[in-house]
Amino acid sequence: MNIDMNVMQGFMEKVQQMGQMDVPSKLSDVERVDTARRVKLEKMDAQLAVDLDACVHCGLCAEACHFYLSTKDPKYTPIRKLDLMKRLYRRERSSNRWLYRLYTKDITIEDLQEWEELVYDSCTVCQRCSLICPMGIHIASGVAIMRSAMRAADLMPVEVRLVGQEQGEQGTLFGLGSEQFVQAIEELRKTGLEIPLDEPEADILVLSSVMDVMLFRDTLVSTIKIMNHVGARWTFSSQGYESANFGYMTGDEAWQCAASKRVYDAALACGAKTVIVAECGHSYPALRWDGAELLGKPLPFDVLAPSEFLGREIQAGRLKVKPIGKQKKLTFHDACKHARVGGVVEGPRIVMDALGVDFRETEFHGIENLCCGGGAGNFLINRGMPLRQKAFELKMEQFDATGADAVVVSCDSCMMNFMGGAMMHQYEKPFESLVALVGENLATQR
Amino acid sequence: MFVQFVEGPLWYFSATVFVIGVAVRLLFALRMGTATPLSKPRGSASQGAIRAVFSRFVPRREFRPRMRLEVIAGYAFHLGLFALLFFAAPHIEFYKDYIFGFAWPAMPRWAFIVVSEIAFAGLLVLWLRRMLHPVSRKLSDAGDHIGSILVFMVMLTGCLALDQSHESLRVLHFFLAELLLIYFPFSSLMHTFTFVFSRGYLGASFARHGVKA
Amino acid sequence: MMASLKITRHIVRQYGILLLPVLLLFTSASMAAVSEQTGGSAVPNPGTDLWRAVREGPTPNVGTSQVQSVGSTTLIAESGEKWRTLRRQYMIPWGGWLLAGMLGLIVVFHLVRKAPERFDESSEQWIQRFPGYDRILHWFMAGTFIFLALTGLVLLLGRFLLLPVFGPEAFGAIASACKEGHNLFGPLFMLALVLFLLRFASRNWFTRGDLSWFARGGGMFSGKHPSAGFFNAGEKLLFWSLAFAGAVLCVSGLILLFPQFGQSRELMQTLMLLHALAALGIVAFTFGHIYLATIGVPGSLNAMNTGRVDADWARAHHDRWHRECEEQGLIEKQQS
Repeated sequence: MNIDMNVMQGFMEKVQQMGQMDVPSKLSDVERVDTARRVKLEKMDAQLAVDLDACVHCGLCAEACHFYLSTKDPKYTPIRKLDLMKRLYRRERSSNRWLYRLYTKDITIEDLQEWEELVYDSCTVCQRCSLICPMGIHIASGVAIMRSAMRAADLMPVEVRLVGQEQGEQGTLFGLGSEQFVQAIEELRKTGLEIPLDEPEADILVLSSVMDVMLFRDTLVSTIKIMNHVGARWTFSSQGYESANFGYMTGDEAWQCAASKRVYDAALACGAKTVIVAECGHSYPALRWDGAELLGKPLPFDVLAPSEFLGREIQAGRLKVKPIGKQKKLTFHDACKHARVGGVVEGPRIVMDALGVDFRETEFHGIENLCCGGGAGNFLINRGMPLRQKAFELKMEQFDATGADAVVVSCDSCMMNFMGGAMMHQYEKPFESLVALVGENLATQR
Repeated sequence: MFVQFVEGPLWYFSATVFVIGVAVRLLFALRMGTATPLSKPRGSASQGAIRAVFSRFVPRREFRPRMRLEVIAGYAFHLGLFALLFFAAPHIEFYKDYIFGFAWPAMPRWAFIVVSEIAFAGLLVLWLRRMLHPVSRKLSDAGDHIGSILVFMVMLTGCLALDQSHESLRVLHFFLAELLLIYFPFSSLMHTFTFVFSRGYLGASFARHGVKA
Repeated sequence: MMASLKITRHIVRQYGILLLPVLLLFTSASMAAVSEQTGGSAVPNPGTDLWRAVREGPTPNVGTSQVQSVGSTTLIAESGEKWRTLRRQYMIPWGGWLLAGMLGLIVVFHLVRKAPERFDESSEQWIQRFPGYDRILHWFMAGTFIFLALTGLVLLLGRFLLLPVFGPEAFGAIASACKEGHNLFGPLFMLALVLFLLRFASRNWFTRGDLSWFARGGGMFSGKHPSAGFFNAGEKLLFWSLAFAGAVLCVSGLILLFPQFGQSRELMQTLMLLHALAALGIVAFTFGHIYLATIGVPGSLNAMNTGRVDADWARAHHDRWHRECEEQGLIEKQQS
């Protein structure tokens, strides 16, 4: 992956600075606890209730969690992240609350402060714990509620909050707004690329992301080339171009909704029947699965992940690639938000097959994949760096065991996290974007 | 005196607490409801729910090496307990006299012994693991241990009364079983029933996303 | 949970030794009971002469019977009386004295010895000694062993110790319960023993250094620890005693549990005595094991509780193992 190291450095410095930009919350401690309690009780539903009633405290979920596996610290046990939720459920909603209240402690500000690290830094909401749980407990959905409550109580890592707030309230992301996006498109047009922007009518609305615009330009260029190659009637939108949805990471519904709304409006404006998000893991479930729920109505368009789209086009014969050959040994990292959360597993395999490379699966792949350690906005949290590095060690083992020359990734957060990890560990294996790989190997004739 | 109490009022009381307690706890949880999803499903939620209820009886292949002991001990205990509960001759007699009014074939005495050995071994290993594994040690609360001890004591007194020559041993077993029935709806022993729902919900939401959980 | 563990540990450490005299009293009480009950009746039985004649008749005193089973034609099995005498007059009092003596020895030793050295619980360095499986296996065996020992002792001593206290009605129930429980848990112990042997035998072979360990009494009196590997010679002796006694207990127990395979009454009687003998021996040994693993050598219990031991403890008690761990980089730094 070719990236401008100066931009990368600049980006990392910016994230580091954000760590020192915290403004004290306007809420008092009592208000914070009340707010957190209120949000949790509002969002508690039957699924969470039976989950909390079904748990036998066996702790097997720890065996699925990359943060427990890499540290062996029992405090990272996934189900423990819902402890406050369990206490609240027992005290307020369970049929046995008259009894439980006698000996179940209410949640305090200290509890919430302790749990901040547990639901943000040490959980990427990757859902792997739900695969091992004998009771079938959906721990991640409980963590999502915890995040919403913590966000409402102003108890969350400042970096993630600031980014979410910027996007939710100003509509820019890391300073990238509509203007800057159009400017980037103009720049690319100068290189001779044909780029439809704000077309009044299109079948496909293609989204980009701040990462692709600023850092992973190759991916952006490849996206354009591929869209032109398949001959689709497609367009970018200067109003709805951003895939990333940091509201989704923070747990703030208003912010999340605002970001989704921009895409929704842009799609409606051009009458697109399909929206393709960028190679940005969480943006897929944020729009594909949460979009309709938050906007309160079914989406009038399909949402596709890039790998899903590539697989579909290859199978339909519209996308032709030059075979690379078996001398190239590649492995693929499934982003948790695509595979386990999103249900996108086949797409990347179809692409690998079409490229004719020596494709090697990691030990855990598809919906069983180990998370990169930086998902759900975690790659922004400065203090979480050492923990993410531990989790990255598990990934290195998995990658090395395949004997592949390079790792193909289809998620910017994973990519960022891997690049950071590789820098820290002096890890030599290159990471490549799936879209860029396809873009660089398009057949000259369809 | 104690015997009459255990076989009379306490039996009716504990059975009532058990039935109503379990029903009410489930009802309170389920009536909270879930939102109707609006996104376009990738797969059938109801099929996923049914699938998960059964598929979770077998751990996924990638996790098996990490949970061998737990699976073996878990099955030994749960299947053993199930067989003892429903197919031990004295129990069938009890169900016939006290609850259902009819009987079904019991397992032979040698099978009873073998099954109880297996169930005891499973329960002991699970309980020891709960206390010795740093993760489950940290997670477990008093309720989990009370549940384990009660089940153990009920099983033990049941087996100690195997000779069936001493009324007092049988009554002790009955008494502890009644305590267990009373404790049941307030404890994590509820997983006996809730597991169906938690697995179902998980299977449904994963299947909607096109993931076989 | 951790708090309660700490409290328990504290109580065991501070007051555990007080329990020993209580047990001692308990055991000696049984001795008194034994000597009282062996007196016999003063009123002569009119049938005595007849039955003595039957017993002293042609040897063996064989008759005929429709029943086809071992010993069915024997009217009075004389060996039974010998067995009864052996059990009542020798096995029970001597066994009781053995256990009481062991407890007494431990108490005396604890009182006269120098205070055992303590290791800082907040030490920075730890070594993993027993992984989870080992600990589960150990406590599984310990649990079944203690259950079998208690029920077994009730069956052996209960007639003299518990019967006078509880009365015939209650003791009948207790004894029946203990018999059923003892029979039920026997196979579980057997399973544990086999797994235990498979797991630990390789680390328990005696080596040359073990002799000098014994020669120096394991350092129990001098306070200076002789050199030892993963297991010291005393632990190895316990292991093989357990293996041997356990094998005797299992084999004899099985033969006693299933009398339908044609084994003779004499064999059963002999095995019953052997079973009790092996049990008494290994129970007495276990008293020492429990003492040393808890208050006798502070820090040892961690090995079977959390699985990790203090590195200083390891250096003091198992210096060769400690060195190996050091060489292999297995010493963990405490996470803050």
